[in-house]
Amino acid sequence: MPNLKSPHVSRKEQVALSGPSLLPLTLLLAGAGALAVCVALSLAVGSRSIPLPTVLDALFDDGRGRDAIVVTGLRLPRTVIAVVVGAALGVAGAVAQGITRNPLASPTTLGINAGAGFAVVVAIYALHLTRPVEYVWFAFAGAAAAGLLAQALARRSGDIDPVRLALGGVVIQMVLLSWTQAVMLASSRTLDEARFWLAGSLSGRTLDVLWPVLPTLVIGLVLALAITPALNTLALGDDSAQALGVPVGRIRVAGGIAVVLLAGSAVAVAGPVAFIGLAAPHLVRLAVGSDHRLLVPGCLIAGPLLLLAADVLGRVVVRPSELEVGIVSAFLGAPLLAVLARKVAR
Amino acid sequence: MSGTAVRDRKRPAVSRPGGAQARQRRRVLLIGGCSLVLLCVLVTLAVTTGQLRLPASVALRALIGLGDPADVLVVQDFRAPRMVAALFAGVGLGVAGSMLQRLFRNPLASPDVMGVTGGASFGAVVLLATGTSQTLIPVAALGGGLLAALLLGVFGWRSGVSVARLVLVGLAVQAGLAAAVNLMVVRFPAELANSALQWTTGSLYGRTWTEVWAAGGAIAVALGAAFVLHRKLAVLDLGDDSAGGLGLNTDAARLQLLVTAVTLASLAAALTGPVAFVALAVPHLVRFAAGPPTAGTLVLSGLGGAVLLLAADLVVQHLLPVKGLPVGVVTATLGAPWLLVLMIRQSRPVNRSAA
Repeated sequence: MPNLKSPHVSRKEQVALSGPSLLPLTLLLAGAGALAVCVALSLAVGSRSIPLPTVLDALFDDGRGRDAIVVTGLRLPRTVIAVVVGAALGVAGAVAQGITRNPLASPTTLGINAGAGFAVVVAIYALHLTRPVEYVWFAFAGAAAAGLLAQALARRSGDIDPVRLALGGVVIQMVLLSWTQAVMLASSRTLDEARFWLAGSLSGRTLDVLWPVLPTLVIGLVLALAITPALNTLALGDDSAQALGVPVGRIRVAGGIAVVLLAGSAVAVAGPVAFIGLAAPHLVRLAVGSDHRLLVPGCLIAGPLLLLAADVLGRVVVRPSELEVGIVSAFLGAPLLAVLARKVAR
Repeated sequence: MSGTAVRDRKRPAVSRPGGAQARQRRRVLLIGGCSLVLLCVLVTLAVTTGQLRLPASVALRALIGLGDPADVLVVQDFRAPRMVAALFAGVGLGVAGSMLQRLFRNPLASPDVMGVTGGASFGAVVLLATGTSQTLIPVAALGGGLLAALLLGVFGWRSGVSVARLVLVGLAVQAGLAAAVNLMVVRFPAELANSALQWTTGSLYGRTWTEVWAAGGAIAVALGAAFVLHRKLAVLDLGDDSAGGLGLNTDAARLQLLVTAVTLASLAAALTGPVAFVALAVPHLVRFAAGPPTAGTLVLSGLGGAVLLLAADLVVQHLLPVKGLPVGVVTATLGAPWLLVLMIRQSRPVNRSAA
């Protein structure tokens, strides 16, 4: 990570090492509070606004009526999916940046989104699918295949070379993207169907979409949390980490698999939402520093926060229609990232 | 090339100091010569093939205005502008990518990452949305690219330029502009979405001589600036502290280099639209093949970019069953195998010492 080099940050880190600082924990708690507010907003706001007491009624007291049906039938599944997908993308991004030691890395640069996109576009073209629910398995298969291929390319005498992992992933991503575009340019029916899915959206998803990928999500999350302490050591460089007794190769393989499982599931559910996996780790790092033990849990909060906020905003700005969450999250996250980046120490 | 590598390894390591440099220079010259020959072959192919097949001698003479007026018309007005546009854009993208990767010390840095691509697509798609004539699209693409550079400067400059901040700001600019393009693609009616998609992948259709000479001249000027600045780039490679110790104003140098690289990429995008992959892959290809960066490898990056883009354009025009695909769809497919092969070759333990 670049900020490790700058004297400014390292002083801050010395402070953090000398005694448990309360600031990061406070920030995490504040993030969790903001997430709760976003969940409430996501349940209450939409093309039809519902007052909060009615929402609570519908959730806990078996409320009846149209409002209750909207809350429990449409908005609750959507909110749950947004939280899960955001968390998966955030953690996947943090792990991807950790194992490649490259701040530009994200699930997207490992080819995962492009793999899912290509698989879905081919499925639409060849099998005439029309509903996002039918895309799930194609998306997951494509994502996993592309992600694993990128890692296979990067293997070098038992270890994964971080530079080649990032580079190979981007190469695969570009090839798959260009093939996706070729298919879409050749068949305008496919373009018309796929462009909405390719923007990344949460609309029209029910919990049925989530169940099939739940096991992979849980395994991926456990794997990611298990290797977080080792990611700190890995940030010192391969040689130092090896000397400190960290099995560098195995950590990197485990991290790669975690990223594929998490991001593959997320993309299967919501389509390729590109920006969360990239921005969430950077935002959290600017807030709590680059200790992965805080960074990964922080991403568990920041990812859903960003995604839910974007989703709610997308439902509000062009009522009664709505904007795709992938588009809004980039619009929302980009200025945030640019402003926060100004604070990066020289 | 593997032949020379084997010979080099067998030779005892007592050669005079500077031997490695001389060896690299020879290798750069060899590769440069090969790419020049390849480029000439591709240029000949570009002017000879098409609906009207011309013999190479006739086509090349027609290129400089000699021979049958009909042939001259076909070659000079239809084939040459497209070919020259591919050459200029390829050189610009290759050199810009090489400069950005060295400047940011990051193998993933490229105009795509720094927002230029997003900006160029944004400009073109906005113009499509307003419904103005499509001849203005190159200007709009250039404007979009420069808009991205401006945003990069506004957010990235804060009493100096730090690499980490520029990278983050570049990511943010790219994401924001790409989202704007995405929004328009999703909201457009299907036919407009189709032509928007054409312009977000890059295409060489219907370039005219005025466009080619305007953008090409500007690219030539920017290339001159790039080679003048190369010495500063080499000093920056030593790291900020050493470069400062050698008396280089690192902030000013980095800003000049950045502006030059972004301008090159934007001009290329004005000619062809945002063609993916060339700026990212060609510098890596050159590094894998010719070793650590020098002024020579910068030239090689330019040549390599031109070869890749021209070859991709020829494939698009003549080899693909589906007509009308943009060139950006093919560059990655054509360039990726080379890069992957070189990456895997380098992974063999024998070559590790050379890496």
